[in-house]
Amino acid sequence: MVRLTRLSYNFGSVWALKDVTFNLGKGEFLFLTGPSGAGKTTLLKLLYAALPMSRGAAEVCGFDLARLHGRHVSLLRRQIGVVFQDFKILPKKTAFDNVALALEVRGMAKSLIERRVRAVLRVLKIEDKSYVPCERLSGGEQQRVAIARSVVVNPSLILADEPTGNLDPGLSRRLMDVFKQFHAYGTTIVMATHNMDMLAMVPSARIIHLEGGRITLDSSEQQPPEGVHR
Amino acid sequence: MIGIALRLALRGVRDLAEHPWPHTFACIAVTLAAFLAGLFLLFLTNLDRELHARHGQVQFQVYWQPAAELAGVQNAWQELRSWPGVESVRTYTPDEALHELTASLDPEAELGWLKGKSPLPATALVSLAVPDNDPDRPKIVYERLKALPDVAEVHYNPAQMDMARSWLAASQRFLWPLIGLLGLVAGLIVGNTIKLSQVSRLDEVDILRLVGARQWYIELPMLAGGAAQGLAGSILGLGLLKLFQLGVANLLNVPPLFLSIEFLPWIYALGLAASLTLVGLLSSWVAVR
Ligand SMILES: Nc1ncnc2c1ncn2[C@@H]1O[C@H](COP(=O)(O)OP(=O)(O)OP(=O)(O)O)[C@@H](O)[C@H]1O
Ligand SMILES: [Mg+2]
Repeated sequence: MVRLTRLSYNFGSVWALKDVTFNLGKGEFLFLTGPSGAGKTTLLKLLYAALPMSRGAAEVCGFDLARLHGRHVSLLRRQIGVVFQDFKILPKKTAFDNVALALEVRGMAKSLIERRVRAVLRVLKIEDKSYVPCERLSGGEQQRVAIARSVVVNPSLILADEPTGNLDPGLSRRLMDVFKQFHAYGTTIVMATHNMDMLAMVPSARIIHLEGGRITLDSSEQQPPEGVHR
Repeated sequence: MIGIALRLALRGVRDLAEHPWPHTFACIAVTLAAFLAGLFLLFLTNLDRELHARHGQVQFQVYWQPAAELAGVQNAWQELRSWPGVESVRTYTPDEALHELTASLDPEAELGWLKGKSPLPATALVSLAVPDNDPDRPKIVYERLKALPDVAEVHYNPAQMDMARSWLAASQRFLWPLIGLLGLVAGLIVGNTIKLSQVSRLDEVDILRLVGARQWYIELPMLAGGAAQGLAGSILGLGLLKLFQLGVANLLNVPPLFLSIEFLPWIYALGLAASLTLVGLLSSWVAVR
């Protein structure tokens, strides 16, 4: 699903990622941890082609990122559900419309969109805010809209950047249940987080710890989790 | 496919309302540009029309020698009428000329005794049309008139003739480049304004890209929105121009000017609206790229 070989990335003179190498098999659940500024967001951005490849090799969902352009960028992104650290939802549009957007760009029929979006909003417990413009939602509610948009497309890979940053423990747990459910159906999940409580909720998950752009720990190298083929 | 395209285009127009201020200002700018460009065109087309109506015609006064044979002169008159561009020929035999003169003088004056031995020459008043594609015609006709047998003198208003010729020449040489330049300036201003207003939607473009939208899916609503702004602005601008024209239409229509201001020919108005719409389209395209 994801193959990275000596992936490096620099913003001018700052190396945000340095020689990152790991493979992620289909159906794995990976936590990316590390202090602020470790390069977690940068790594995720590279994976969904929001940053250009500069050094190293990367393959995501069968696409070679170094040779990805034009039409293929949108094809890659259609296989990935992304929860952005800054949500990236449209403030003037309602929660429903924001979530529906991800399905609309895929050309899905209106009635099907309606059914799916409702279901996802219900699972994330914001169905009562469906028709409220997102600028009038709380941070946690906006975050759930962002999460709903990432999972509504049934992606084969979910990239979630601090998806529980604005949620209380109860909601965080509920959200993790949603992700675990997707995981149980075979979706590959990469979640960047500071929150150590999250790690405990998915005991089988692999953990990669970044510091200063380098991998300082990869749990799979010590004790490969069972039931995961890669 | 066409259904989707139409829906996207409609959404692009509807979404303008999500950022009302930038788009309102852009629309005002387009309206003003359209109005000013229209005003310039209005001035030019009216000037052109007046000059063509007044100066697209030259009048010659032809005097024959007093001793000329009347039969020969009348033959010449007959021939004159068939020259190309000659619109009318008013002729005066010496007696008729005398009669006119008498009538215009004191009606009491008794010049009847001069009948049959009028001292006035035979005259003809020749009106000549000067078409755009043949500005040299008056000169040629002038030479031809002078070469007629027994013609003593040919008078014309040279100022009038030169004015007509120079206007025709100038309009062919400078008018279109000038309109082109004006269009370029208006296009740049309008284009930049619409482009700037579309920048307010770039966050949306960004998000659409991130959730996997194709380029055309992103561009179509933006292009439709930009085109709608261009079109709305130019319709408003032309509407303003029409109001202006109605206001001043008869302001100059007083003796001796008799100038009435007419609205732009519809093809010009259509062209103006079409170009501004196109500019809106193109600048939106540049904005999303
Ligand atoms: N657009 C940018 N321009 C310049 N430097 C950047 C940019 N984005 C990130 N960086 C730098 O790259 C490094 C990694 O940033 P990144 O956002 O990946 O960290 P992170 O692990 O996601 O941190 P956090 O946990 O706070 O979200 C940081 O040193 C940051 O300052
Ligand atoms: Mg981050």
